[in-house]
Amino acid sequence: MKVTETMIKKRKVKDRVLQTVTLISSSISVLILIMLFFFIFQKGAGSLSFKLLTDDYWAKNYLLDIPAEQTGTYVKPANLPTDSFWSVKYGFAVTDALSHEKQKLILIEYIDPASPLAKMTDASSGPNFGKAQLISVGMQIQKIGYVDINGDTRSAGTIADQNAKTLVDTLDSSALTLNQAYIKTTGGGIRGSIVSTFYLILISLLLAVPIGIMTAIYLNEYAKYNRFTPWLRSSIEMLTGVPSIIYGLMGMVVLYPVTALFKASGTSILLGGLTLSVILLPTVIRSTEEALKVVPDNFRDASLSLGANQAQTIFRIVLPSAIPGILSAILLSLGRIIGESAALIYTMGTFVNDSPTVLTGGTSLAVHIWSLMSGEQPNFALASAISIIILIIVLVLNISVKLLSGRLRKTWQ
Amino acid sequence: MDKIVRNHISVKSMKRKHLQDVFVKNLFKLMALLSSSVIILIILFILMKGSAPFLPNYKYGTISLPNFLFGTVWRQDAGIYGVGFIVINTILSAFGALLLSFPISVLTALFIVKVAPRKVASVMRTIVELLASIPSVVYGVFAAGTIVAFVRIIGSALGIVTAGGNSMMAVIMLLAIMIFPTITSLSISAIEAVDPDLELASLALGATKTQTHFKVVLSSAKSGIFAGAILGLGRAFGEATAVSMVAGNKLFGPTFNLLDITRTLTSTMLAGLKETTGLDYDIRYSVGIVLMATILISNLLLNYIKNRIGNKV
Repeated sequence: MKVTETMIKKRKVKDRVLQTVTLISSSISVLILIMLFFFIFQKGAGSLSFKLLTDDYWAKNYLLDIPAEQTGTYVKPANLPTDSFWSVKYGFAVTDALSHEKQKLILIEYIDPASPLAKMTDASSGPNFGKAQLISVGMQIQKIGYVDINGDTRSAGTIADQNAKTLVDTLDSSALTLNQAYIKTTGGGIRGSIVSTFYLILISLLLAVPIGIMTAIYLNEYAKYNRFTPWLRSSIEMLTGVPSIIYGLMGMVVLYPVTALFKASGTSILLGGLTLSVILLPTVIRSTEEALKVVPDNFRDASLSLGANQAQTIFRIVLPSAIPGILSAILLSLGRIIGESAALIYTMGTFVNDSPTVLTGGTSLAVHIWSLMSGEQPNFALASAISIIILIIVLVLNISVKLLSGRLRKTWQ
Repeated sequence: MDKIVRNHISVKSMKRKHLQDVFVKNLFKLMALLSSSVIILIILFILMKGSAPFLPNYKYGTISLPNFLFGTVWRQDAGIYGVGFIVINTILSAFGALLLSFPISVLTALFIVKVAPRKVASVMRTIVELLASIPSVVYGVFAAGTIVAFVRIIGSALGIVTAGGNSMMAVIMLLAIMIFPTITSLSISAIEAVDPDLELASLALGATKTQTHFKVVLSSAKSGIFAGAILGLGRAFGEATAVSMVAGNKLFGPTFNLLDITRTLTSTMLAGLKETTGLDYDIRYSVGIVLMATILISNLLLNYIKNRIGNKV
């Protein structure tokens, strides 16, 4: 067959088309990544603040007594935001806000140090009764009770369907004295989940890393080429294919009795950590084994020929040479712990716990997102804010793994 | 004799050293046995727990196995547990995702390894790795915000009222995104492993570079690419949290309408977490068995196809 000019041209066009197709397909993934980051940052950046990291998730309620001496004229500070309202008589400023459930809130913007609201005491009976309770900027005013000219006790605040402006106007114009305040913290913080995540990391790494490393050493250094060893390998390999939700089921039946020994009842962080350590095992084993394989055999031969036994060779020669690989195994595991959700939903529960301990339930950051999203009113803002935190951590881990593995490769070449 | 041999190589110290060696070896062997027995424990306990509701003398009332396996209604409130339609829904959404993701992944892998200039390729590699490392809940939040809205728009354009956008289509698109990095990275390794001599031979015969990439490279990397597809499919089957955010909660089925809500095995297992004992708790293990069986069977099937295709080369 003769190759004509038109055939070559046709071929060229066809090639160009095919090349463009590959380009388009790969730009789809870029597009998705950009869209994901854009969406998460756009939704979550507003809620992201240092306060988010240190606040409790659940709102706290305070019923407070306001001290009797409260007359005065307070000077409005110059730097108050324009959308806040200043009470001249009682020395505080409030603003309007919306909760993520679209409820109207009145938030405290500023309190004068001499204001009666700055010297309130706890009014609810209990150990804290009568103690001074400081309220701070950002808390919600649910109700402020006051006595008007006729001597009647009335209420102002969100409970009386007021907003910041009407609250200040009412108090300034018709209140003779204030008697009681019902104040609420806004909540919505993730301190508890951060603490739980740390516990989880600690428990699961403490278990998975030593067991994983020992297994990898056995497989790479000790195991003989017999019929038994491939079985060991493939049964560990099979663990990677098990969906994480199945690990959750496993945790509930197999590992629950273990946690019951420590007197944990029901779901607990300990159970979550144990389950996670099983999930991490194949990752740790494989990545340690990769690192061990790279260590040249000469090292082992040299050590053995100097009279060291195998255990000494492993601990003094092989393991130190494999440390970058083991480190990258730990970093990979960290990423997995932070991202894991399905298995933990079963084993740690979905209730956000503000003061988690090892033996009680709690939520990791990922599970916190799930419990925010699975309600009737998905809280996109907070879920995205936590997602940003997770994304940043994962990004940093990824970069570190890349740098480490680059170093590992360089070491022996 | 004792006086000549130095202390640290005395018989006694040698014995201790030997004992230490044996101890370490056995400890490591024990740990290896422990690690590899986990899979057996998982299978054993889940089988035990999950088969209990079908055995006679089950304390919450025995369920008939055929009704469970082939049932088309799932209503925990009415005590009707039929997992048949859920299996079909799961298979449909997983294979739908594979169908959507597979060509894009393979072409992306080809672009990264063969077509793109080096710098672009390394950026693309990083992007694929990043996509792989994003946790599934984050994908879930993304899907619940964007994909669902997209489906809602499509629905309203077609004049169909969707359940707020939660639908089988949303599940398929979400899963396609989630399995993309898996298939791509395995395809990349498969394409990289193709013998360069094959390519050179093809070029020497007068084929253009692009022709070689599509006809020679892809077909020699076939079995590796297929392995990626199998792994991706496994991930699609097992994905739970993200899917449950967009699947909806269909009570009967199977769902064939892309815009209708659906229910997968994993979303069923995550629904109704309140129970800690009783039938609703145990039945989750039965669903877990069905999930594992579904994954296993589809893996075997695909492996069979892979071997058939592989043999033709």
